[in-house]
Amino acid sequence: MNTKQLQEGIREINLNYLMLAQQMIKKDKPAAIFRLGISQDLVEVVGDLTPTQMIKMAASNMLLCRFRFDNNLLSNLLEDYSKGRMMSQAHAAILMSAQPVEELA
Amino acid sequence: MTAKTVLGDANQVRVAIDLIEMGARLQLLQQETSLSRERLLKLYKEVKSESPSKGMLPYSTDWFMSWQANIHSSLFMDTYQFLVKNAGIDGVQALISAYRLYLDHIQGIENSEPVLSLTRAWFMIRFFKAEMLQLASCTECGGDFVTHANELDANYVCGICHPPTRAGKTKAARLAAAAQYA
Repeated sequence: MNTKQLQEGIREINLNYLMLAQQMIKKDKPAAIFRLGISQDLVEVVGDLTPTQMIKMAASNMLLCRFRFDNNLLSNLLEDYSKGRMMSQAHAAILMSAQPVEELA
Repeated sequence: MTAKTVLGDANQVRVAIDLIEMGARLQLLQQETSLSRERLLKLYKEVKSESPSKGMLPYSTDWFMSWQANIHSSLFMDTYQFLVKNAGIDGVQALISAYRLYLDHIQGIENSEPVLSLTRAWFMIRFFKAEMLQLASCTECGGDFVTHANELDANYVCGICHPPTRAGKTKAARLAAAAQYA
């Protein structure tokens, strides 16, 4: 994968992420806050983006979203097969809800 | 909470319909909406096309302590508290949103069914307000789990980190496994 492909991939993910996030926010705000793990202010900002703004934002070489779990959680998610799907999924959700949301500084 | 205006009344009916669809008992509806008992009864019959079940509500804090129930109720309670803290909603709105998220979550996993009913979820919130139940952090994974209030839980370990020996090995699970190989 060369740099150009890499940057294209990043832009695609950015646009997908922003579009999905906006759809979730328009459908059900509290649920979107829970699922995205971002604060109310940030939800307002993303929810109000126009398509042009979204494309401009997505056209960056940096990923706009990042991992929202620490090592503990990650190891739990990976332990899927040893404990059964139901348990590891529920566990992941329980641990994630204990995490702080991403906020605007 | 008041339904003095037409809009307010419509809102209350909307909330009541949501609650009935999620399986609320009549007592819950009476507490959480300002509609009269007669109207709620009528609404219930229209939505579910059957009479609401009668009798006592499941009133016990011990139910939340058994292994599977505890994980489900912890999942719901963590979602609920997350919404109250981060999404700026409260009361019955938070109950509806959190319960819907809980159902979505359980339905997204194969071979699992919701264990916690809406009425029990509502009771749990009341138990928390009455300080009969509380959340304790697991010392191994750091997640918050439902426990009795004032329990000695300095070294609390949750049911997922240390499942009881026979946890999840029910007759239903055995039958499902057998059906898979057959």
